[in-house]
Amino acid sequence: MSVLSQLNVIQVSGLTKSVNTLEGNLTILSDINFAVKSGESVAIVGASGSGKSTLLSLLAGLDVATKGEVHLDGDALSTLDEEARAQVRAQKIGFVFQSFMLVQSLTALENVMLPAELAGDHDAKAQALELLDKVGLSHRLEHYPSQLSGGEQQRVAIARAFIGSPKILFADEPSANLDSKNGHLIEKLLFDLNKQNGTTLVLVTHDELLAKQCQRIIHIEAGQLEKISEGVSANVG
Amino acid sequence: MWVKLAGKLFAREFRRGELTIIFAAIALAVLTVFSLSSITERISLNIEQKSSDFIAADRRLSSNHAFEPLILTKAKEFGLNTAEMLFFDSMLFANDELVLGSVKAVSNEYPLRGKVTIKDNISSQPFDVEHGPQPGSVWLSEGLFYTLGVNVGDNVELGAGIFNIAKVLVKEPDSPFFSLSGNKRVLLNYQDIPATQAVQAGSRVFHRLLFSGDDQQLTDYYQWLKPQMKSNQNWQGIKDRQSPLGNNLDRAERFLLLAGLFGIMLAAVAMAVSAKRYCERQYDPVAMMKTLGGSRRVIRNIYLLHLSLVTGFSIIAGFAVGYFLQSVAGEYLAQFMGTELPQAGIRPWVLSAAIGIVCALMFSLKPLLDLFDIPPLRVLRRNLGDTIAISRIHITISLLTIFVLMWVFSGELVTTLILFGSTLLVIAILFGISRLIFAAGRRLGLSPGSSWSLAIATLQKRANANAIQLISFALAIKLMLFLVVLKNDIISDWQMQVPSDAPNMFIVNINENEVEPIKQFFNENDIAHEAFYPVFSGRIDAVNGEEYSRRVSKQEGEEKDEEARDGVSREPNLTWLDELPEGNDIIEGQWFTGGDEIEVSVFEGWREVLNLELGDSISILVNEQEVIAKVTSFRTVDWGTLKPNFVMILSPNMAGTVPVTYFSAAQLSDSHTKGISQLLQRYPTISMIDIKAQIEQAQSIIGQVSLAIGFVLSIVLVSGALVLISQVQASLAERLQEVVILRTLGAKGRLIKLATLYEFLLLGAIAGLVAAIVSDLVLMIIQQQLFAVDGKLHPYIWLLGPTSGAIFVAMIGYFMVANTMKQNTQGLLRKIA
Ligand SMILES: Nc1ncnc2c1ncn2[C@@H]1O[C@H](COP(=O)(O)OP(=O)(O)OP(=O)(O)O)[C@@H](O)[C@H]1O
Ligand SMILES: [Mg+2]
Repeated sequence: MSVLSQLNVIQVSGLTKSVNTLEGNLTILSDINFAVKSGESVAIVGASGSGKSTLLSLLAGLDVATKGEVHLDGDALSTLDEEARAQVRAQKIGFVFQSFMLVQSLTALENVMLPAELAGDHDAKAQALELLDKVGLSHRLEHYPSQLSGGEQQRVAIARAFIGSPKILFADEPSANLDSKNGHLIEKLLFDLNKQNGTTLVLVTHDELLAKQCQRIIHIEAGQLEKISEGVSANVG
Repeated sequence: MWVKLAGKLFAREFRRGELTIIFAAIALAVLTVFSLSSITERISLNIEQKSSDFIAADRRLSSNHAFEPLILTKAKEFGLNTAEMLFFDSMLFANDELVLGSVKAVSNEYPLRGKVTIKDNISSQPFDVEHGPQPGSVWLSEGLFYTLGVNVGDNVELGAGIFNIAKVLVKEPDSPFFSLSGNKRVLLNYQDIPATQAVQAGSRVFHRLLFSGDDQQLTDYYQWLKPQMKSNQNWQGIKDRQSPLGNNLDRAERFLLLAGLFGIMLAAVAMAVSAKRYCERQYDPVAMMKTLGGSRRVIRNIYLLHLSLVTGFSIIAGFAVGYFLQSVAGEYLAQFMGTELPQAGIRPWVLSAAIGIVCALMFSLKPLLDLFDIPPLRVLRRNLGDTIAISRIHITISLLTIFVLMWVFSGELVTTLILFGSTLLVIAILFGISRLIFAAGRRLGLSPGSSWSLAIATLQKRANANAIQLISFALAIKLMLFLVVLKNDIISDWQMQVPSDAPNMFIVNINENEVEPIKQFFNENDIAHEAFYPVFSGRIDAVNGEEYSRRVSKQEGEEKDEEARDGVSREPNLTWLDELPEGNDIIEGQWFTGGDEIEVSVFEGWREVLNLELGDSISILVNEQEVIAKVTSFRTVDWGTLKPNFVMILSPNMAGTVPVTYFSAAQLSDSHTKGISQLLQRYPTISMIDIKAQIEQAQSIIGQVSLAIGFVLSIVLVSGALVLISQVQASLAERLQEVVILRTLGAKGRLIKLATLYEFLLLGAIAGLVAAIVSDLVLMIIQQQLFAVDGKLHPYIWLLGPTSGAIFVAMIGYFMVANTMKQNTQGLLRKIA
């Protein structure tokens, strides 16, 4: 393994994804190459349908590529099976989704603790309480998702994403379902926590302003990597 | 580690009502099987007891030859209780009156089952005892007190002995339905037989041994006895074909069995549907857990634990409710019958728990496996995994499981096949119909915005889901209709067998020249009576020149032998008749043609035993005189009636060739008593046999069984209703989202409620109609196959099915939607988020 790939927490090479549809073979992503350094924040932008979510799912090992390889913190994802990839996710990855994806039958606190519980870590409660406090929900611990507003649910999701101190955080349009005020609140939280924890952030968005807050911006168009540009915070570190 | 999480999730899911239906379905299966099997077990134990009373034992062995002592000693070795009986005729003498009495000598153990009813003297109240007379004394039936002019306490000479008359004999538990003994019964202690000196070598006597014990002992003993039984020996149980009770018991048992099967089927349908629904609702949490790094193993463990917990809880709940139900029903039945119902054993517990577990496992297996396979990518592509929804494998596994459950539970392949096949037929028809209807509805062109068009639009949109719903509605309705009809038919059939105007008195031993005067007496007094049958007794000697005993023993070793030979007595009562009696049907050959030859029509059941064919000649010895009759027809006999039935009916050209007496039956009331005693004085040889008690006994048993059937039916109806409710609930939960959207868009609650009402009215009516049609067809087959009753159509269910289906289903749907409407829209939106 090269020194480079050790520095790069995500290394994407020749990544291609195609699916079989009724109208024949459809290539969603073709020959994508880039790398993300540890602690870096990267935005993936592009028009709707350009393949952003698909790329994210491949990076997180939620799906497998047709061709090419993703190295995630040294692990070649294509060599791992579903179980091993789940293992990797449990240890190294946090998620925030557009549609919150909280488990309805668990309380806010329990939702935050869920990844830790799944990983067999029972001492997560203190960390969960701390995270919920940071997202401003310490007074809603025992509430179920259906009792929370959208913004509050997303804040729970963010707290959940950071539990267990993951190396990488993936976020797929985390503020798209919220009004701009709440959206900005969420974005700020995300970036703040990211900086505090030194986490690598990969953020899918079509909000140019939000993208600019990242150090680098990966532009996807019709499944191709169009360019990689620098964000405003490129030199802040 | 996962246990805590699983426990937490389970508790929440349970509280949120996610598991309610699945819980109810398993509990339903358990409680149905539990209460059905324990109540049927208790009832059949009780009925068996009662029927044992009818023969004063559990089994009996009869012969006109003395038994070898080994038969009795062996029975004791097998742990059986035994009693000995000897029947013979002997002269009674008192006050210069001489009468031929029909003596039944009984050992001290008699009766093994049931009670003897006696009176202290003619005018006192009857009471029950469980023994016969002491040595040295006799009990006489009332008629003998009159003819001999004696009282209780007097002495009477019986054969060569002198006995004290101790009691008036009112009723023996095992008094025969039809016998020539009449009211001239003498009950004697077995030890006193030698004192009478009436039983000599060559006298006509009839020996009988009574046995009682548990089933296993009886079976073991019979296994031992069977190989050495002689052709003159006859082994009889309580369920023999030729007893009216045996017949009805059989039918009752079959009915209860069927009802149990239906209960299982209903619960299975509910279970299969709800398990699938539950798993589908878990797709998102599972995808989420997988995304967050939950391994397959952990997820599998979590959900398997859920399954075990819900199974465990619902089995306990099923036990509780089932126990309560069966004890209430048992209490009620016991009260109604004035008897105590014996407790059921462990069987219902084990059986119902096993069925609960099998249901839980088999019906949720495939949905669970699907659940474990949900790709984590679903968190990004929201509809991933939805395509798994309709699974042929799930349906196949569920159907197979239902089939095996039914088969195991009933132990009858044919019944199971018929029921199962008809169920598949319903499913096929309904799939076709639902496709057609939902397609046709599109062209109705109702004005948009009306409740009806909304209802139909919804129906169409959910064509597949609706087809499944339609099928389960129809199945539930079908099973319920089925049992209602069967119950009505069985019970009315029974009531026909023992109608309230049935003759209550047999008149036997009527001489040829007494027939006309008696007929006249009946007519003058407006007494309803049966025809006068000529009766004579004959001994089957040979068939086609081959000796009878050889003929019967040829069958030895065959399985059916035990059952087949039961009914065959070598000396049947014979008659000749012009016309085929009511309740008999010729199944092969022809009724008498009026030729010169003597012809005989034989009971179908004897054809196999004697290996008879049309055209065979049977030689019968009637008082040393040989009669050769040609077999010209085989006939069914309805042994369920209390009417005289004959296994062999000879052609009327027999008349005059052998001496006969006549037999009739009449319905006599108390007002006729005087006229009858005059009649008896004028023709003293005639015997009257009061069968009121037997009729009452039969009616009481029929009453009990009818009640049991009614109870079982109501349990199945409740299960059916629960299936319907759970189905409606499931479908409502699915459409909650739609309701919320409509509500959000400003649809009035009334519109939504009406639309739901109409939708369910349509669904219920269609389901009910198909259910009615199919169940009526299946009923025809079942009745013929299982109950040996002529199948007929039942037009009333063609109306009952659709209307009850529509009303019931619509009602449930309406109330549930109305309930939802009460919540505010915001609350609903939250619920589906
Ligand atoms: N399994 C699949 N089968 C068929 N087409 C697919 C599949 N997965 C993705 N696609 C297609 O690939 C393209 C990219 O999808 P993707 O969800 O990655 O877009 P996106 O950039 O995230 O869009 P948006 O901004 O709207 O979320 C779309 O046109 C989508 O329809
Ligand atoms: Mg997307």
